Amino acid sequence: MIDLLSILSIAMILTSLIVFGLRNYKAAILTYGLQTALLVSIFLLLSTTHLAEQLCTWALIAFFTKVLFIPIILLRLVKKLGVVSEDEPVGGFFVSPIIAISFSLAIAMSVYPIYMKFSLIHESIPLIASITIFMIGIFGFILRNSVIKQILAYCMFENGIHLSLALMAYNSPEIAELGILTDAIFAVIIMSVLAQRFHHYFGSLDVSKATELKG
Amino acid sequence: MDMQQLFILLLAVPLLASLIIWFAPTQFKLVSTLHVMASMVSSALAVITVMKVMNGKVFFAFHDMLFIDALGGVFLSLIGVTGLLINLYSVKYMQWEIQKGEITSKDAKLFFALSHLFVFTMTFSVLANNIVLMWVAIEATTLSSVFMVALHKGKKSTESGWKYIVICSIGLAFALYATVLLYSAGFAVIKDSHSMMLWTTLMAHAKEINPDILKLIFVFALIGYGTKAGLAPTHTWLPDVHSEGPAPASAMLSGILLKCAILGLIRYYAIVGNSMVGFEYVQTVMLISGLMTIFIAALFLMRQHDVKRMFAYHSIAHMGVIAFGLGVGGFVGLFAALFHALAHSVTKALAFCVTGNMVKIYGTRDMTKMGGLIRIAPITAILFCISICSLVGVPGFAIFVSEFWMIQESFNTALYLPVVLFIIGLIIIFIADFSHFFLATFGESKSKILSHEVEWSANLPLIGLAALIIIFGVFSVDGWVTLLNSAVKIIVAA
Repeated sequence: MIDLLSILSIAMILTSLIVFGLRNYKAAILTYGLQTALLVSIFLLLSTTHLAEQLCTWALIAFFTKVLFIPIILLRLVKKLGVVSEDEPVGGFFVSPIIAISFSLAIAMSVYPIYMKFSLIHESIPLIASITIFMIGIFGFILRNSVIKQILAYCMFENGIHLSLALMAYNSPEIAELGILTDAIFAVIIMSVLAQRFHHYFGSLDVSKATELKG
Repeated sequence: MDMQQLFILLLAVPLLASLIIWFAPTQFKLVSTLHVMASMVSSALAVITVMKVMNGKVFFAFHDMLFIDALGGVFLSLIGVTGLLINLYSVKYMQWEIQKGEITSKDAKLFFALSHLFVFTMTFSVLANNIVLMWVAIEATTLSSVFMVALHKGKKSTESGWKYIVICSIGLAFALYATVLLYSAGFAVIKDSHSMMLWTTLMAHAKEINPDILKLIFVFALIGYGTKAGLAPTHTWLPDVHSEGPAPASAMLSGILLKCAILGLIRYYAIVGNSMVGFEYVQTVMLISGLMTIFIAALFLMRQHDVKRMFAYHSIAHMGVIAFGLGVGGFVGLFAALFHALAHSVTKALAFCVTGNMVKIYGTRDMTKMGGLIRIAPITAILFCISICSLVGVPGFAIFVSEFWMIQESFNTALYLPVVLFIIGLIIIFIADFSHFFLATFGESKSKILSHEVEWSANLPLIGLAALIIIFGVFSVDGWVTLLNSAVKIIVAA
């Protein structure tokens, strides 16, 4: 029987696919918020089932920074720029999510046995989910041209890494988790500022239109 | 002053300088004075620290999370010496930019504040013993330097800033995976969560860590830190970023930042090399990576007429040379790779700062529109000549020394095919560079001359860099050799 941890992990994969695939920015950002809420739930669940008390602190920090702060920044960005939905991505709206999920799952399935050997929490589905979410984030950069979707892709692979960290190294010193999160928040803020500049100069959020630097 | 205080000062001075400049009134004279003073203090602290670890001593602080050894000392010396000279040059450069109306005094203040924040993050990355903190610091170097690169307003600057943060963040995500995996694999051996995150403990227990996972970890680390260091095929951000940023930012990125990323990689190289995997594996991977990087850079370099873009491809090529040195391995190969880090640091800092002079004189970066530099600005022309001579490996200049040792060691260890490919790559770079050099330096200028020789205050730091190139090319500097010997011993755990 599938346990709660696996259900939450599968829900995280599904939300990744939705964030990746949705054209509407606001809906994609809210779904990202939901995905991070699932991540926080996993932290809390693991903290009780595996007596990993540190994960309670992680959950609290992640809730304020990733469930609230980052989505608020992104929603404000979308409102400020007055954009609603993204332009056609590489391979089209239908094909690009299929490519992303199939390749991500394939990579996750081939790599996760190695992770299993050393993971503190020996659960295959959550480990597969962590690698899949990370890879969907990477594919988000490759296949989606929208600056905002690329910021969301960054946030997603960040979630993937955090899930891996919770499963494989939840006992690591808290300063490590704090350092990674601080970098992530500053990265999103800087990317948002650059996104505004991008929109100002190119009149669009489509990175394929930025072709000034070649050769 | 005890080491604990020195650690605090090393990190606090640039961080505080950044904050003070950030909140200071927007008066160019005031912020530039603060900038110069802070740079001098940071540099003095770095040099004092390096002197303490020269003979192989190691110092720890903050529950061993920070440390300084001779290997870190090599890279701290780059931050201290190259960083100071670039920061001194940047004052005059920013003044020119303000006079041209390219930037405002507020932009210059932002640049100075960020440059100290950048120095803070780079110093942190060198001092970190905790492998997660090292990753955090290297990622923070990207974040702190984005707006130094994208200082100018406009399409090109924005595009370069975006490419920089996106490509480096993706690359470094793999390095974070390498970090998590290394910690987990280490924890399986020693059940101590604090100490298994420390590089020194991981090195001490390298032989007990599962060799299969270490191979995967090294590949992830190479993708991650290799992206940041500009190794092919994930080097694509580098030409755009180095060519579009202000000259001192490009000099800082190429001269110091790329080396800090290489230090991150060397830390993994040492762990995997000293494990049951052995040095043969890491050397083979680095040889392939180095040669691929040199050839890709050489081929693109031939087509460049933009002087900054040409130097940007040079940065890639020379990171390939450092990777080749790590690939050759052994005491001499590693010594040469570390020597090359310094040689390239001072050379490329000079090269990029000279482009600042050239753009002031011609108003363009296109070398086909230049010419007659030797008559218009003889000192700039000589400095340009010194940087080119060193970059292509002319004897008597710093880069020749490390490249010669790499070639010699390759023959000694029977790496005949790699060394032949290495030499071919260097010959391509040599030909491409000198044709570009003659284009800009001799003949008649093809564009209107906007200025003649720049002020002495701008040229003096560059003369300092040129002097270092020649000193390290001609003499054997005892202190530096001792430091490198100690650093190599750390890598091979001798």
